[in-house]
Amino acid sequence: MGFYFVDPETYNKYKDEILEMSHAVQVNFQEHLPADKRQPGYSDKQIAEKLGLELKVVREIRCVAERDKYPLDEFEEAIRFKEKACLDYSVKGMSAVMEKYVKESKK
Amino acid sequence: MHASETESRTQQIKQFALDAGGDVVGIANPRDWDEHVPEGHRPYDILPGAKSVVVVGSRGPTAGAWRSPNHRVMEVNGYDFRNDAAIHRVADMIESDFDHLAIQAPGLPTGGHLPPMSMMLSAVLAGLGTRSLAANIILNPKYGLLYYSACITTLEFDYDGMLEQDVCPHHMCVESYRRFGKTPCMAACPSDNGGCLDGAIDDDGRIEYSYYDRERCVSRAMNFGINSFQKSLAQIVAEEDSERQSTMIHSDFFSRSCSAITNYKESVAQCFECMRVCPIGRTERKLQ
Amino acid sequence: MTAQNKIDFATAKSELAAIAGKSGALVSGVASAGAFDDAPEGYRPADILPHAKSVLVVGGAQPRAGDWQSPNYQHMEVTTTSDRMQTLALKMARFIEDRFSYYAVAVPAGVDRGQQPFMSISMAADLAGCGSKSLAGPVLHPEFGFMYYGAIITTMPLPADKPLDPPACPAPECVRMYEAEGTTPCLNTCPAKAGGCLDGRIEDGRFTERQYDATRCATRVQNYWVPGFQKVLGATLQEPDAEKQKMMLFSSMFSRTLWSMTYSNVAQGQCAECMRVCPVGYEYRTKN
Repeated sequence: MGFYFVDPETYNKYKDEILEMSHAVQVNFQEHLPADKRQPGYSDKQIAEKLGLELKVVREIRCVAERDKYPLDEFEEAIRFKEKACLDYSVKGMSAVMEKYVKESKK
Repeated sequence: MHASETESRTQQIKQFALDAGGDVVGIANPRDWDEHVPEGHRPYDILPGAKSVVVVGSRGPTAGAWRSPNHRVMEVNGYDFRNDAAIHRVADMIESDFDHLAIQAPGLPTGGHLPPMSMMLSAVLAGLGTRSLAANIILNPKYGLLYYSACITTLEFDYDGMLEQDVCPHHMCVESYRRFGKTPCMAACPSDNGGCLDGAIDDDGRIEYSYYDRERCVSRAMNFGINSFQKSLAQIVAEEDSERQSTMIHSDFFSRSCSAITNYKESVAQCFECMRVCPIGRTERKLQ
Repeated sequence: MTAQNKIDFATAKSELAAIAGKSGALVSGVASAGAFDDAPEGYRPADILPHAKSVLVVGGAQPRAGDWQSPNYQHMEVTTTSDRMQTLALKMARFIEDRFSYYAVAVPAGVDRGQQPFMSISMAADLAGCGSKSLAGPVLHPEFGFMYYGAIITTMPLPADKPLDPPACPAPECVRMYEAEGTTPCLNTCPAKAGGCLDGRIEDGRFTERQYDATRCATRVQNYWVPGFQKVLGATLQEPDAEKQKMMLFSSMFSRTLWSMTYSNVAQGQCAECMRVCPVGYEYRTKN
């Protein structure tokens, strides 16, 4: 077999659920929030216990799903985003980001 | 131990950490992790018998780098890992001068993005900052964005505890949110327009809701590195046309991905747009 | 931090030189940010740091005399020391900001889009009088010869140095050799006409008509690095025989390439044969 990797069928079955339970999208992580509002995300071990899977499998699915979530297009878009944001700020300062919302608030 | 001895060595280690290159230093109680993270990710899971966690923070880009209109300058030079160098010296000093166990806490990821121990939480619990709306970055009241490393040790120091006052949101951001529905960081990278961030501020001026799309942030903050290398390689391997495959292999995108995985300092901290517009620490970045 | 109106810039320059010297630099100098007309637009100091006034250059971290004497050419392939000057440049940028309250950016040693350097550090070294351009390519200091350089762009108006006159290259020995034999040590070691990288002439004690095959030089200086990795990857992916493919992936060439990529901070300068025979700084490459 060589090195361990997850089979595609298992991956596709659990990837969305595991990613949602992980730290991929972080909601209300702030420490000052009350315990009932915080959603700190689960460790691989906690996810494995909840889903009845082996820890190794959960870790592997999570790792692949993290990579898989966005296509390479998003990485190209990132170049465009940063180039524009950095240049705009060097010319316009804070209004580069706030202008749009200031205008909307006046409508 | 006599109380004044603990206080004295606490002062000593803090000054040493600052002299070693840290901009800020704080000390946390390992038991404070119990409330925040599951088993396996607490200081005493890494070093049994841990009594203290010394946390050092250091600045990343220079004020001049923030002013460059070329975002690639900070992509390449944004983080020089000075905090790691300082924490190694702290750990060395504790073991040699105090004869107690001390280790650099493992902050690098070991399973996907997950590290054995969170340096961000370490900074919060050591009183060096609070978690912000901007990508959950821990903002220091004076410097804003800092990078953190931690030393776990069996030596007991006086603890600092968490800050009582939230650093984020800044009062300007509270005002901005109330008037325009966005803070500057949310406006710079809005999740409702292809970005990573969203949130809400309550009537008391505190964060009541925060949203952070980490995987999208990875495509920006780790634009060229391990992630882009793996993803490009998958595309390259699957390409059947040998000429197209060759141009993909030798493309600027893949070349930059390759060089980023060779120069580790280049492979992280590649997007600063939420921090660029953050008012916290702004005075430290304005020299003239 | 010193108030700007109290700074004597000549004294500040001396202080910076002293700090650089204590931190391992052999030489330092300053070029005016406005002197980079020969650099293409987009690659000048003010393109990286708006309102840049000066470029501080530090040089040092030469290979040691023992390194040059090793008969094993592979020794220097894995022990080059360019990272030390880059580390120093980052430190100096931080120092300028903290001490004098002027903006400063260390010129990244990495590459910008299209595999282009952000700014020519060699040009900066030449303009700052830290060395002069040579027929072989590297900037040579008249006393120390070949060394590595780092550059810091700053808004601080430091007194500028001038390019060296006469330049370090060609050395008197090379002028005599060219008159007698029509070649110099570096041209003779790596002649473009016989599969090497260099060609040129010496007229009236100055070199002219320099030819430099940068692409060929890269196959030697970056013998095992990203370009080699990309080539092996391309060849491997196009190999239909699985057994041969395995041989290629496990080959010493590919393995060496991966090692060099991982340890790129010490393994990027993998050919120095033109410098081995250069008379400039020769006494620093030998011992009694």
